[in-house]
Amino acid sequence: MASNKVVGAVLVAGGGVAGMQAALDLANAGYYVYMVEKSMAIGGRMSQLDKTFPTNDCSMCIISPKLVEVGRHINIELLTLTDILDIQGQEGDFQVKVRRNPRYIDMSKCIACGECTKKCPVKVDNDYNESLDKRKAVYVQYAQAVPLKFGIDAQKCLMLTKGKCGSCQKVCPAKAVDYEQKAEEITLGVGAVILAPGFTPYKPKDFETYRYADNPNVMTALEFERLLGATGPSMGHVVRSSDHKEPESIAFLQCVGSRDVNRADNGYCSSVCCMYAIKEAIIAKEHAKYDLKVTVFYMDIRSFGKDFERYYEKAKEKGINFVRSRIHTVQPKQDGGVRLHYVTDHGQSATQDFDMAVLSHGLVITGETLDMSYKFGLKTDQYHFAQTTSFAPVALSRPGIYACGVYTGPKDIPSSVMEASAAAAAASSKLASARGTLTKVVNVPAPVDISGEPPRVGVFICHCGINIAGVIDVPKVVEFAKTLPFVEYASNTMFACSQDNQEQMVRLIKEKRLNRIVVSACSPRTHEPLFMETLAAAGLNKYLFEMANIRNHDSWVHAADPAEATRKAMDMTEMAVAKAALLVPLTENVIDVAPSALVIGGGVAGLNTALTLSDQGFKSVVVEKDAHLGGIANRIHSTAKNEVVADYLEQLKAKVEADQNISVVLGAEVEKVEGFVGNFETTLTTGEAVKHGVTIIATGAKESKPTEYLYGQNPKVVTHLEFDEKIKAKDEAVAAAGTFAFIQCVGSREPERMYCSKVCCTHTVHTAVHLKKNNPEARVFVLYRDMRTYAQKEDIYKEARDLGVIFIRYELESKPKVTAAGEVLNVLVHDPVSGRDILINPDYLVLAAAIVSGREHELAMKYKVPLDGDGWFFEAHQKLRPVDFATDGMFMAGICHYPKPMDEVVAQAQAAAARAVTVLTQPRMTVGGIVAEINQAKCSSCGVCVAVCPFSAIGIDPEKGKAVVNEAMCKGCGVCASSCRSDAPSLRGFTNAGLFAQIAAAL
Amino acid sequence: MMSLEEISQKIQASAKRLLAEGRAEVVIGYRRGTTPLTVAPHFARTAEDCDQLVWSSFAKINLATYLPKYPGKVALVAKGCDARSAVGQVVENQVLRENLYIIGVACNGMVDVERILAGEPRPAFEATEDQATIKLSGEGWITSLAREEVLRRNCRVCVSRTPSATADEVIGDQTEPLSADDFADLKELAGRSPADKLAYFKGLVKECLRCYACRNACPLCYCPVCFVDETRPQWLGKSQDEMDTFTFHVLRAFHCAGRCTSCGACETACPMDIKLREFNRVLESEVQKDWQYTPGLTWDQKPPLTTYRPDDEAEFIK
Amino acid sequence: MSQFEPKIVAFFCNWCTYGAADLAGVSRLDYPPNFRVVRLPCTGRLNPKYILEAFKLGADGVWVSGCHPGDCHYISGNYYARRKFVLLHHMLEAIGLEPGRLNFSWISSAEATKFQEVAKDVVEKVRACGPNINFRKAELELGLSEVA
Repeated sequence: MASNKVVGAVLVAGGGVAGMQAALDLANAGYYVYMVEKSMAIGGRMSQLDKTFPTNDCSMCIISPKLVEVGRHINIELLTLTDILDIQGQEGDFQVKVRRNPRYIDMSKCIACGECTKKCPVKVDNDYNESLDKRKAVYVQYAQAVPLKFGIDAQKCLMLTKGKCGSCQKVCPAKAVDYEQKAEEITLGVGAVILAPGFTPYKPKDFETYRYADNPNVMTALEFERLLGATGPSMGHVVRSSDHKEPESIAFLQCVGSRDVNRADNGYCSSVCCMYAIKEAIIAKEHAKYDLKVTVFYMDIRSFGKDFERYYEKAKEKGINFVRSRIHTVQPKQDGGVRLHYVTDHGQSATQDFDMAVLSHGLVITGETLDMSYKFGLKTDQYHFAQTTSFAPVALSRPGIYACGVYTGPKDIPSSVMEASAAAAAASSKLASARGTLTKVVNVPAPVDISGEPPRVGVFICHCGINIAGVIDVPKVVEFAKTLPFVEYASNTMFACSQDNQEQMVRLIKEKRLNRIVVSACSPRTHEPLFMETLAAAGLNKYLFEMANIRNHDSWVHAADPAEATRKAMDMTEMAVAKAALLVPLTENVIDVAPSALVIGGGVAGLNTALTLSDQGFKSVVVEKDAHLGGIANRIHSTAKNEVVADYLEQLKAKVEADQNISVVLGAEVEKVEGFVGNFETTLTTGEAVKHGVTIIATGAKESKPTEYLYGQNPKVVTHLEFDEKIKAKDEAVAAAGTFAFIQCVGSREPERMYCSKVCCTHTVHTAVHLKKNNPEARVFVLYRDMRTYAQKEDIYKEARDLGVIFIRYELESKPKVTAAGEVLNVLVHDPVSGRDILINPDYLVLAAAIVSGREHELAMKYKVPLDGDGWFFEAHQKLRPVDFATDGMFMAGICHYPKPMDEVVAQAQAAAARAVTVLTQPRMTVGGIVAEINQAKCSSCGVCVAVCPFSAIGIDPEKGKAVVNEAMCKGCGVCASSCRSDAPSLRGFTNAGLFAQIAAAL
Repeated sequence: MMSLEEISQKIQASAKRLLAEGRAEVVIGYRRGTTPLTVAPHFARTAEDCDQLVWSSFAKINLATYLPKYPGKVALVAKGCDARSAVGQVVENQVLRENLYIIGVACNGMVDVERILAGEPRPAFEATEDQATIKLSGEGWITSLAREEVLRRNCRVCVSRTPSATADEVIGDQTEPLSADDFADLKELAGRSPADKLAYFKGLVKECLRCYACRNACPLCYCPVCFVDETRPQWLGKSQDEMDTFTFHVLRAFHCAGRCTSCGACETACPMDIKLREFNRVLESEVQKDWQYTPGLTWDQKPPLTTYRPDDEAEFIK
Repeated sequence: MSQFEPKIVAFFCNWCTYGAADLAGVSRLDYPPNFRVVRLPCTGRLNPKYILEAFKLGADGVWVSGCHPGDCHYISGNYYARRKFVLLHHMLEAIGLEPGRLNFSWISSAEATKFQEVAKDVVEKVRACGPNINFRKAELELGLSEVA
């Protein structure tokens, strides 16, 4: 080895949702992060989405808190407009050379007022809106961008290309425009690298048959997403590009550039298109105030994720039409619409006219990303996705370099987020010795004691250049502020957020002994943290602060009426002062964190979590209710990538046994639970009491026992796992058998169990291929409803077909009929394509039995975590927090969350460990601030607050019989405070008195 | 049909048994009042005390109101509405289920004494009753009234006259509801102008003295500090301002939303005979319509404001 | 000649509608200046008493807006809020509050245009109701000293 040096920093390339999650997990676990982003702002593809399936969450709403967190994190250094040139060195000690491209705007000066954009004469296609409208050459990527700084498009700017114009520099009130900026190359020292370059949507320009290139009413799905977006070109109004008319009908064409080796060379399934098409169809119908007709043309609907099947069913209920057919020709019509030619499910030719067509295009790896993989020595598959294994799903072929998101294969947001956390865990697994060596901490002076002092409010009113002062009479507002009760000092400032004004504020707070501060400027959503830091720096409790948003909510929207705008600014300032006068210092307390974990479940998920935690130096206790480790994986033969599970399990168990940080308790369950994040105490059924800081639930799931198809009555009828056990045991009868039939969706996707078990299609085709390879003469039939071999697993489906496996589709209404006549098993199935009934006499009938949850109600109750209607553990957020429970310190991994294949189980296990490390890494946790408290004299212990708290943060004190808030778990929503009839709970920072004062001041 | 006498005797027998078995330290029931047409709350702690327990059509007081004040084991003589209140108190942690024994009584509805007295100005010395009639007698006169016609308004629309689902035992023959409240009057009012509605509701409370007897009588008003007594901030002015009074009634009803069992304790307590339940009924109708919820019928139900369904309807929200 | 200019108190949750108002500002989408915003962490924080208080103190209208159901930053805060709103809205209109005085909406942080539309609509609706006479206190004695 050239060096044993270990650097406590990680470079994360790509600022999409995966990159952001990886960066946050690392930074919160004690590593310094360089976040490298090619474009001007982070956010990635998710920032372009209108909604997310299957919850229809507003995409921007859910990522913007993450954007802000990344942007403000003291241990994340954001390098925008930056390219990675070279990676030298090895795991633990890499030197990464990057080029920082010029923005031509000084980020330290830009106040994002947008004056430059207003004056810029150059119009350019707006890539954020998929070129459906125009932007200027000086622009901000999107309104909520982080960093919220403008930049100049060097290719289009007249000044930079032709040396003339310069109007942005003239109008910039902050003197931030700098045409002289140059690119610079720097080298960053890091211990590991995470690559999250994402994807580009497949461009269907080459598909002449779809007429995308010449018919504006044939759009890609991402274009359509922007059309649906409230910030899109038509502000969410669905209209045709050609004539801005509302379409009466829309067709979605699935698998454009996916599952297609003829025209696109993309044999894989893009995994997300079925779901986003359903989503866009639902949202389009919601946006249309009329009966918009939507038809989705598909080959197989692949709604395999958590709650996806119900979403699909809901779409059908809403009148969205699903037609199983691949469109072969799109013919343009005179009226701008399209005529689709296709072959129906029953083999007949058909045509149908639509006003618009949306192409559900696949996800592809860009040439640039492929070049990067090649340059950095990373193996890729035939589709240019980075290669990984099922048991190390985020590790790339070069040690020390990891991946997350679509780089390793097409996947949705929660899978990307899971992998991101997993990548954070994997990337830091060799860096634990350097944890905390490069991270920074903020040192603030201890706040001065202001108790007993009357309020002395300081009011600062910002001009924001001309953004506020151009409309509002700022001096008049200042004079008015001086007349308000408790105001000690009021003044105006050109830019409240500028460095010199911050220093001035610190000086004034000390000099005038100000003990409450009001800033009338822009939005607290973007600037409150900055001013709170200023208060802290001045020795004032940072919660003694209130903002009035006289820019975004006033001058920017009432420019036509300066007099009313000024009056509103005065009212808003008065409201802020009224509330500020009643603010009290809020304390933040520290609690000790027990630096260890309890892992419930000793299967693949639980063991990987424990091992990953051990890499970071944290101890864990693994509780397994069976007498042995390994869980359901003990029964599985091999993975979709042909890895033998038994070999892997053996290694895994050996590693666990050898690991000093892991202790295993077999044949035990959880008996009793006390405590909360940082301080759990769990008593096991063995009587052993475990103190732990975090809990990971990895209790797995079960294969259901089918109640149909002669299961349990005929020995030839077996389940997947039973058949796998036979293969594992090299069963001679199986080897000698000549005919096999598989029935898919046995107990899944039915009204009483409306979910897809996700793994069965792949497992069936994988097993079918195995049978065919062992015995090419074997006749193998697969009876299925929709083939769901998502992502690169589509290749196995194709391989099976190439090997002669016969696939016959059946409908839920006409399931196969299985009867026995002596030794002979009769499987009768109706083939919709030929219209005939087919009789199969298999030697084995393998049932893809549904995976069902263990319905761990008792465990859930003990830890106060929820299960969903199907019995799966319910995560804090389906998109962005797929391994966290809403309750702090509680995490989940594996198939207790939802069925998933081995690689995803391992990723989620590593992710759970990464999330857990963010808690365990801090020996003491800061809690408090804006949290609820209970006035016990007013509490009747009725339990309303306990029932409504979304975070299980309130309990009844068993001794006092009154409600108490656990500050470590409270998130400060205030639902308790508004639900209590006697106002016993109060939300600090948003008290009844403070809000009443605001209401009174508003009127 | 079991007579009132028999019911009273059975209550006495149960009470004695419960005290003897230690199942209850006190039995809360009714005894004869000191004036005709009344009964008074009775707290029986001994077998002797139990002999005074009675049942009559004047037992309108909701005895559940006393439950939160008793920390020990209590048996409660309960009509349907009283039992519903007691269930609510258990659900809201005011009473421990294991400390409570409900002696349910099949109720035929309580009579509206004020209404009887309004129709009979002569002073009555005695009232007797059987299943169908109430007999009043005074100096030299006797008159007979049909029970059905003098029932309290809330008793006419009671949905749970016999608390068979929640009581630990039931005395008397199961009685069935007459009819549920169809809120026809409210529906009619809803079609009128805002001014008419306001006039109606403000008119209802114009005599209100803000004595808070309604609050004190309510079995579900047990907050240590009531919002009307708050000072920081002061939710309600202390003066006789019309809007403050109106707000009090709105909030009082709001606090009972999804909890009120229509027992009528508030109206019984009101010295000004205000039809207080009208405010509650506005919300009761909404709770039933939107969430199909009727309070106090089962032990495991969740009050509607402590839960939600993701698909709850709220069309007025844009 | 001069039309009635209503005073409206608005309660917005920090994460969605307050963000939409911020975005409306960024996008310079103008709307009438008649309302004053009280920022709450969540619509779940909104105590029904605040709405009554605003009317008592003379607000001509109230506008409450938060995250769409399912979008709540606090998972379920707005679900609980919605039930309270259902009851309060029904109650106040049943006892004589003019329809249009009390307004509710769900506006996500990306829906600046919807924010502008609803803002205009709320102001027009309240304007049509005229001054609040029936739900305000006869004499307003409240000052900062009282709440302090």
